[in-house]
Amino acid sequence: MFFLFSRIMSPAPTDATEYKPPDGGWGWVVVVGAHISIGFAYSTPKALSIFFKDIQEDLGASYSEIAWISSIMLAVMYAGGPVSSVLVKRFGSRPIVIVGGLMCGVSMVTASFGRSIVYLYLSIGIIGGCGLCFNLNASLTIISKYFLTKRPLANGLAMAGSPVFLCFLAPLNQFLLGDFGWRGSLLILGGMMLNCCVAGALMRPVTLPCNPAVQKNTEKTSKHNVSKKGRCRSNARKFLDLSFFKDRGFIIYLIGNTMFIFGAYAPIVFLSAYAVSQGVEEYSAAYLLSIMGFVDMFVRPGTGLIANSKWIRPRIQYFFGFAMVFNGACHLLCPMMKSYAFLVGYAVFFGIGFGMVFALIFECLMDLMGNQRFPSAVGLVTIIECFPMLLGPPTAGLLVDIFQDYKYLFFMCGAVIMSGGLFLIIMNIYHYHMLEKEKAEHNGAPSQNVENQDGVSLSEAQRESTTQTNGDPQDPSPDDSEPDVTDHF
Amino acid sequence: MRKVAVLKSQNSTQNVQLLNPVNLSLECSLTADHNNLPNISAFWSQDGREIPDSRLTVALENQQYHLQRLFYISGEEMLGSYSCVFENGVRADFILATPPFGEVRDKPVVSYVRDFVVLPCKMEEAKPKPLSWRWFRGNKTHKEQISEQPERFQIHSEERKSKLKVINLTHEDAGVYYCGAVYAIGTTMNPIELKVITYQEPLKPFIGILIEVVLLVAVIFLCEKRRSKKNTSKGNEENVDQNNIKLQEEEKGAEEGSSMRQRKV
Repeated sequence: MFFLFSRIMSPAPTDATEYKPPDGGWGWVVVVGAHISIGFAYSTPKALSIFFKDIQEDLGASYSEIAWISSIMLAVMYAGGPVSSVLVKRFGSRPIVIVGGLMCGVSMVTASFGRSIVYLYLSIGIIGGCGLCFNLNASLTIISKYFLTKRPLANGLAMAGSPVFLCFLAPLNQFLLGDFGWRGSLLILGGMMLNCCVAGALMRPVTLPCNPAVQKNTEKTSKHNVSKKGRCRSNARKFLDLSFFKDRGFIIYLIGNTMFIFGAYAPIVFLSAYAVSQGVEEYSAAYLLSIMGFVDMFVRPGTGLIANSKWIRPRIQYFFGFAMVFNGACHLLCPMMKSYAFLVGYAVFFGIGFGMVFALIFECLMDLMGNQRFPSAVGLVTIIECFPMLLGPPTAGLLVDIFQDYKYLFFMCGAVIMSGGLFLIIMNIYHYHMLEKEKAEHNGAPSQNVENQDGVSLSEAQRESTTQTNGDPQDPSPDDSEPDVTDHF
Repeated sequence: MRKVAVLKSQNSTQNVQLLNPVNLSLECSLTADHNNLPNISAFWSQDGREIPDSRLTVALENQQYHLQRLFYISGEEMLGSYSCVFENGVRADFILATPPFGEVRDKPVVSYVRDFVVLPCKMEEAKPKPLSWRWFRGNKTHKEQISEQPERFQIHSEERKSKLKVINLTHEDAGVYYCGAVYAIGTTMNPIELKVITYQEPLKPFIGILIEVVLLVAVIFLCEKRRSKKNTSKGNEENVDQNNIKLQEEEKGAEEGSSMRQRKV
């Protein structure tokens, strides 16, 4: 088994016309900006639930009607992925994050004047969700532009924003609620979300070097791009770039990820209720989630650091699969935890597993897709992940209602996540095996002196070999030359 | 109804929930200690004051001193704390009350001038249903009942829930409101504090944060403009040489053992 993992993936550059990512310097400031941006994106839908009880009373709505606010926000945040990808490719990350921050601020401020539940659906759910979507997508993209060798660490640090901000927003929201009521709190929260604009301002576009090879390409390809019709067509083509579905690695990642997302959120939603049902008092049960979040905060950068190491980086897809299996195993063992001490232990391990997966979730996609295709890929992945994310917790809730027992929920989630992880590991072994076979077939082609310096992945080697032999089919359209121009924004 | 307290050497307290007027028999049994006195004196007290003509001498029977009294609890004024006190100081307290509310809200409800607010009140499933609901405002000593006035107060009550909607708030509306769950024997009160503030209060921190954001964004962009001006003025001469050197390096394929990745064109 170890022998299978000991295949060293040959490294290679992603695209021949690519610049060298700075891998440091201003990049770390950009990581701070991404940390803030991603932090708000993931923690706001959860932190808003603190206001729900008061909003429910004032607007006379039922609990499920109120809970839809968070669901709509999350759904729009994920479903807006493709739109966000197109905008990021066209304008670069900085303006998109600034616009996203403005939208979030505006959404919260308008929500504070809300008189009906539908008004809140529109302002918080749709406008707020759009703003967060722009934030998320653009932040991930700019990390992929600034880092390559230290990218797992950068990703881990940026994704750590989610637990850090949740830890900080939850007590802050409680405090604001007591002093200003829910309307004033939403107003102030809107102001705070404008700090995403500051994060966006930090995301300086990467300046490309003046490479004559690049210039030749831009001259050639810009001639193709004369007619407006052609541009519109190619834009539409990129809106939902279905060519991704021909990529084996992408399909494997997508399936594994979908299974993970389906089972990931339900245990969080039901953990307190489960603890209360086991005889733990309500305050201590709520504390379990804080423990999980606290552990998550440190595990994400830690995982990034480990994934960056020489030994793990070439096998990062396997590490991702292992993290998922670990997470699933935690859930399967949870029903055996009856006492509070054991539940605390479960919360700690849950935090570790959850943090590991989320630190790697976008890093692995960047690793598979490479710099140029990542923005479109992430948009496609998020819109597909929308469905399991919305279906997961209600399905789990249904299980609880039918069987009147929480253990089936944990069994289901654990089983789905664990199968997802095992699927990833096994299919990746197959995938890399096939890639090596194809590479061996190409061995007669012009010599590629790939050196094993950074040990990235075999999928990237495959990309380089196909670009060299087939004359760059991975370059989807002439519009790719536009980032060269607009990145000087 | 019958309530018994068994005592040895320590005091005991019991909560008794009452819904209707009832004949209540309270009993205290004190286990004899090593003294084994044949007789011991005891009395009953209500809310700390001894009930007149209640002092008795109790005889020792089966190692126990048994004291019993029948009370007729007719109305709210009869509720309170009843105790049997023995000569050696040991006592049992019976606290007679209507069903209490489970969750008491410790934080005030905050709302805005000219806005409306809904004050909720709930009696849990586990407790008995009240006969009706009433709302009061005031302080602990003097409470005034709130009656329905179409422009100011609206009360909406269900079996276990009641809501008071206060419309067109002013600063005078701030204070403590009491929701009362009415039972045959009395009313349980639940205090809810209402705070009324103007829109300017949250606006101040909001404007503060807005100014901070605008300042930071301006500073970041200014710094960047300055850096790029410095770079373009300095590096214009060096740029051409640097590009040549870069191209040479890439062709040679140098940089062995560095952390940056190598590109073979």
